[in-house]
This record gives sequence, structure tokens and C-alpha cells, in this order.
Amino acid sequence: MSELLDRRAVRLDETAADKEEAIRLCGAALVEIGAAEAGYVDTMVAREKSVSTYVGEGVAIPHGTLDGKALVKRDALAVLRFPAGVDWDGEQVTVCVGIAAAGDGHVELLAALAEILLDEDQARSLREATDVDTVIGLLSSVQEEASE
Amino acid sequence: MATINGKDIRKLVVACDAGMGSSVMLASTLRKQLGKSGVTVEHSPVNSIPADADLVVCHSGLAARARSVAPSKPIVPFQVFLGDPAVTKVVKAIQQGTDLNV
Repeated sequence: MSELLDRRAVRLDETAADKEEAIRLCGAALVEIGAAEAGYVDTMVAREKSVSTYVGEGVAIPHGTLDGKALVKRDALAVLRFPAGVDWDGEQVTVCVGIAAAGDGHVELLAALAEILLDEDQARSLREATDVDTVIGLLSSVQEEASE
Repeated sequence: MATINGKDIRKLVVACDAGMGSSVMLASTLRKQLGKSGVTVEHSPVNSIPADADLVVCHSGLAARARSVAPSKPIVPFQVFLGDPAVTKVVKAIQQGTDLNV
């Protein structure tokens, strides 16, 4: 968990003028924690242009393309919160979960995220979280339940 | 339009561009919903859909690519990653063993 979701990559008070800037901020966080090469960020922007990564409940999960996998150094996630929201093709996104993955290390965590988003109360808690421990706790607690 | 019966779906594949993000999330949700039905749910990049897949679900933006890669497979396109009615229909057909138009 700690390796996959580095607390340095959980940033809860970000601002972005548009979708691309939000994606680039997620990418930059993944690069800063050593999860991906700088070039990975461009593949995240490219991926978004083919199909939106908006998944519902004010959450988007930007990630790279198949080619971008070569630029991933280790599986990791970044959680960025944009309290003022970001326009995502007409949807309002508050939370971006940036993904760098070459393998399947992050699958459990995405499964946990899906569970959170299918539960209105938990989805709201994620959107409204203002401290890093709340976000990490939310994602790890569901993960434990899911593995029962 | 072809028809497949839910009982004949043994392997369901969720395809997306990199097989890294949204398809992973949808596959995990489907795996949970279909756990009791004994159906295998996998996620895969759209370019490498496994040959033994009985049904492929993918985002509508990728449906054309999925069809060119796997022309013989029934493909269900969806718009929304969580709670899409097209995906709900697939789950119902599998759980109830009913026909699904694809």
C-alpha cells in the first residue's frame, strides 16, 4: 500500500485551469515520486484524447497509453484533489487518480476505488477529504474488506 | 444483430487502450458481481483480446478497434465506466441465463 500510494503523491489542494493541466499535475506527481519517466506524462494526455478517463462521481483516473508502459518505472498511484473542480468534457471532476502501471500491482487499489465510487457516502468522503490520512485510510479500508 | 445466451459466456473480457486503468476498474466490479456465476473476468489491452473470450465489453470509443482485432467476437460497447445500462444487461443475462443481443 505505502509503495503503491506514496503519501507524497496525495495532494488535496490543487488547482487546474483545465483537464490537460490536471492530467499533467497528476503525471508530474508520478514522475516526482520516481514511478515514471517524464515522457509518460505526454502519453497520459494522449490517452485522454482517445477516450475520457472520467469514471463517475466526480472522479477521473488519467493514465498512459500502451506505449507509455515502457516509461513506467514502478506501479503507483497519485491522488490529486481539485476543490474548485475541473471541467472534464462537461463533467465536474474533483478527484483525479493518476495511474502509472506496467504490471498488475495497482489492480487491488483500483478495485477499492470502484467500491468507493459505487457507495454514495464513501464517494462523497473521498471528494471532501482534506487530509492525506483520510484518503489513504479510505482506500486501504475498502481494500481489506474486498479481500475478505 | 447476433444473440448470445448468458449461460454460454464463460469468459468475459474488458478491453481498453492500455489495460491499465478504467478496464481494470470495471473488470474488478464485474468479477465481484459475477463471482458466483463461475465466469472468468479479465481485462486486456484492446490490441490483444484473448482468443478464448466469449464476450468483450469495451468503451464505445474503442469498439471499432475491438471489432477489427476480434471480428468474430460479440462486443458490447459502453459509455460509462460504472453503472452503464449496457453492462448491467450483460450481468443480468449471465446471472439469469437469458439471451443477450449484441
